[in-house]
Amino acid sequence: MKFRHLTNEEIHELTAHGCFSENWDQIMVCEDFSTVNIRNTHFEGNIKLGSYSGRMEPGNPASRPCGIFNSSIADCEIGDHVHISDVRNLSGYNVEGDVEIINIGSVMAGNGSSFGNGTEIEVVNEGGGRELPIYDRLSAQIAYLTVFYRHDPLFTKNMLGLIGHYCASKRTGKAVIKSGARISNTLVIRNVCIGNCTIISGASLLEEGTIISCREAPVKIGTGVMARKFIIQSGSEVDGGAILEKTFVGQGVKMGKQFSSENSAFFANCEAFHGEACSLFAGPYSVTHHKSTLLIASCTSFFNAGSGTNQSNHMYKLGPVHQGILERGSKTGSFSYLLLPGHIGAYSVVVGKHYSNFDTSDFPFSYITEGKGRSELTPAMNLFTVGTRRDADKWPARDRRTDPEKLDLIHFNLLNPYIAGKIITGMALLSDLSEKATGKQDYFHHKGIYIHRLLLKTTRKYYEMALKIFLGQELARRIMTAEPGFPVAEIRNWLKSELVPDRGKWVDLAGLLSPVSAVNGITEAVKSGEISSTEELEKRLASIYKNYLSFSWSWCSAVIRDQEGSLPEDLPACGLIKIIEDWKSNAVKLNSMILKDAEKEFDQGSRIGYGIDGDQAARDEDFSSVRGEYERNKFVAGLRKESEEIEGQADKMISLLKGIS
Amino acid sequence: MDKEEIKKRVKKVTAKVLEIDESEISDNSNFSFDLGASSMQSIMLVAGFQEEFNVEMDEQRSLDVQTVSEAADFISTYIS
Repeated sequence: MKFRHLTNEEIHELTAHGCFSENWDQIMVCEDFSTVNIRNTHFEGNIKLGSYSGRMEPGNPASRPCGIFNSSIADCEIGDHVHISDVRNLSGYNVEGDVEIINIGSVMAGNGSSFGNGTEIEVVNEGGGRELPIYDRLSAQIAYLTVFYRHDPLFTKNMLGLIGHYCASKRTGKAVIKSGARISNTLVIRNVCIGNCTIISGASLLEEGTIISCREAPVKIGTGVMARKFIIQSGSEVDGGAILEKTFVGQGVKMGKQFSSENSAFFANCEAFHGEACSLFAGPYSVTHHKSTLLIASCTSFFNAGSGTNQSNHMYKLGPVHQGILERGSKTGSFSYLLLPGHIGAYSVVVGKHYSNFDTSDFPFSYITEGKGRSELTPAMNLFTVGTRRDADKWPARDRRTDPEKLDLIHFNLLNPYIAGKIITGMALLSDLSEKATGKQDYFHHKGIYIHRLLLKTTRKYYEMALKIFLGQELARRIMTAEPGFPVAEIRNWLKSELVPDRGKWVDLAGLLSPVSAVNGITEAVKSGEISSTEELEKRLASIYKNYLSFSWSWCSAVIRDQEGSLPEDLPACGLIKIIEDWKSNAVKLNSMILKDAEKEFDQGSRIGYGIDGDQAARDEDFSSVRGEYERNKFVAGLRKESEEIEGQADKMISLLKGIS
Repeated sequence: MDKEEIKKRVKKVTAKVLEIDESEISDNSNFSFDLGASSMQSIMLVAGFQEEFNVEMDEQRSLDVQTVSEAADFISTYIS
C-alpha cells in the first residue's frame, strides 16, 4: 500500500476534530485517507493510518463506525476498516484491518519481545531439569520429546536448538493485532501478539504472549484473566479469572473459574477449572474440574482428576522434586493422594490415599485402592467398567479443534500395540507371581504395590481376553479393508504386512502411538542434523501418525507369528478363523461384562435418595423419570448393537476364510 | 458334594474375602447389597470360589451371580 504525508487541510481538520500530534510529519496515511472518522485522538511517534469509512459490519447501521475515537496512539501502523475507541494507550503495534479495540487501558509493545515464544517452563520436575521452551506451534509430541528424552543429551541439545532457532525468528517481528480481532474492556495488554479473530473481553492483564487464532477456531479470553509469559493456541477459551504464569495452552483447551497455572502446559482439548496446576504436563484431554484439586509435577493424557486430587513428594529433602507419570486414560478419585514419584499404568483408576511410591505401568486397566494403609492393585478390572468404554467413545467425539491444522497428533484407539504390549508384560508378571503363590501368602509385592493372590489367575484371564480382542480386531480390520470384490484366493496377499513384522516396544508420545523404532529414527535424525527445523520435525511425526495402521499390523503380525507359529498370511484357514472366532466371543463377552457393570447404575443401590418423600414405588418412578431405564439407555443400546455387528462381521469373515486354501 | 456343603464353603470364602463374620451371611445374602462387596471384591470372590472348588468359571456368567444360594447353584454346575 502507498502512503503519503497529511495535507495541511487534513491537519487542520484533524485539529478541529480534537486530535493532536507534536509532529504531524510523522503521520503517514493511505491514498484515500479521510479525516472524517478520526476524533479526539493523540498521535505520537511514527504512525501509519488506513482508510476508515462506513461501518464495521457493512450494511448494518447498528454496528460501530470505522474510525479512531478518543484514543492515544504511538508508533503504530493501523490498517483499513478498524474501530478504535477509548484506548488510553495503543503503542508499538501493527493493527491489521477489520479490528475493533474498545475501552482499553493500555495495549503496548516494545522492541525485542519474543511474545512468549521461548519462555522456558519447568514441567514435571518443578526444581528444573526438564525445561520446555514454549512456542506458538508447539505440539504435545514435540514437547514430550523435549521434556522426557533427557537421557540423550545430544538429542535434547539439538531439540532445544531447533526450538530456539524458531523462537529467534519471532523476536524480530513487530507486535501485531491480526484481522478480525475484537478487544474490549481490558486493562493492560503488553507485548502480546494477537491472532486473527481473537476475542478479548474484560481481561485484566495479558503480558508477553502469543495468541494463535483463526476464523475457524477463534480464541476467546474473558473476564478477569491474568496471563504472563504464555502461548494460547487456536480454538481455546480462557475465562473466569484464570491466572496463568508461564503457561502453554494448546488447541481447543477450556480454562477458567479461577483456575491457576504455573509452569504448566495444556495440550489439545484439556479442560481446567477451579483448581491449580504446577509444573504439569497435561497431555491431550487432561481434565480437572473441581476445587481443591492440585496437579503437580506430573505428566498426564486422557486424564480425569477427581475433586481434591493431590500429590506431593512428602519429604522435601532436596527441594520440591516430584515426578508423576499417569498414563493415558488414568483417573483419580475424589481426594485421592499420590506420593510421587509414581507411575500409574494406562486406563487405571486411583482411589484413596497412597503413601508409598509405586509403579503399575505394566498393568493397564487397573484399580489402585487403599486397604489397611497400603496400596493395592487390582489388575485389568477397568477393562470391563462402563466408564472406560464411555471415555473411549467420548474422546474423539469431543475433539473441539476446529482449526484446519491440528497440531497435536492423537490416536484414540483404546486397544493398540502400546497397550497390548503392556498387557503381554502384565500377563507374564501375573503368571510368574501365580507360580510362586501358595495358599499361605495372601499378598504379593510388586514395584511398591500389593496384589492379592486370588487376583493373579483371574485378572490374567481378563488380560488374555483383551489381547485376543485386539489381535482379532486388527485381523478383522485388515480383512474388511480389502477392496470390494477382492479375490478370496488372494486374501493372503492382503494380510501381508507392508512393513517387516516387528513386535518391538511401542511408546505413547502424549497421544501419538508409535513403535520405538520409528521414534528412534526421529531422534537420530535430529542428532545428525538431518532434521534441522521444527517444521521438518512436525512432518516426520505426522508421518508416524498417518502410518499407525501399518505399524500396528506389523506388530500384530509378529505377535500372531510368535503365538501361532506362522505369519497371518501363512496361517491355514482354520488358524485365521480361530483368531476371528476368539475376537468374536471375547469381544461379545467383554461387552456383556461392561453391560453388567452398566446395569449396576440402575440397581437398588443406585436408587438410594430417589423418591424423596414417597414410598418404594415413588422411588422407582422418580428414578426412572430422572435416570431413565436400563433397557432404553443409549449407551446400553449402542453396546448391544456393537456386539451384534461384531457377530455379523465375524460370521461373514469366517465364511469368507473358509473359502481360502 | 451336596448343595449344603457348597453353600457352607461359599460362606467361608465370602467371610474371608469380605472380612466379615460367617454368622452374618445367610443363604439369601446378596453379595453387594447385604454384604457390601465392592466391584473389586466381587472379582476376589469369584477367584476365591475358583480356588476353593478348584474350578474355572466363566467370567461373564459368574458376574451374574448375586446371592450365596445362586453362587452355590452356579458352582455346582461346574462340580457336577
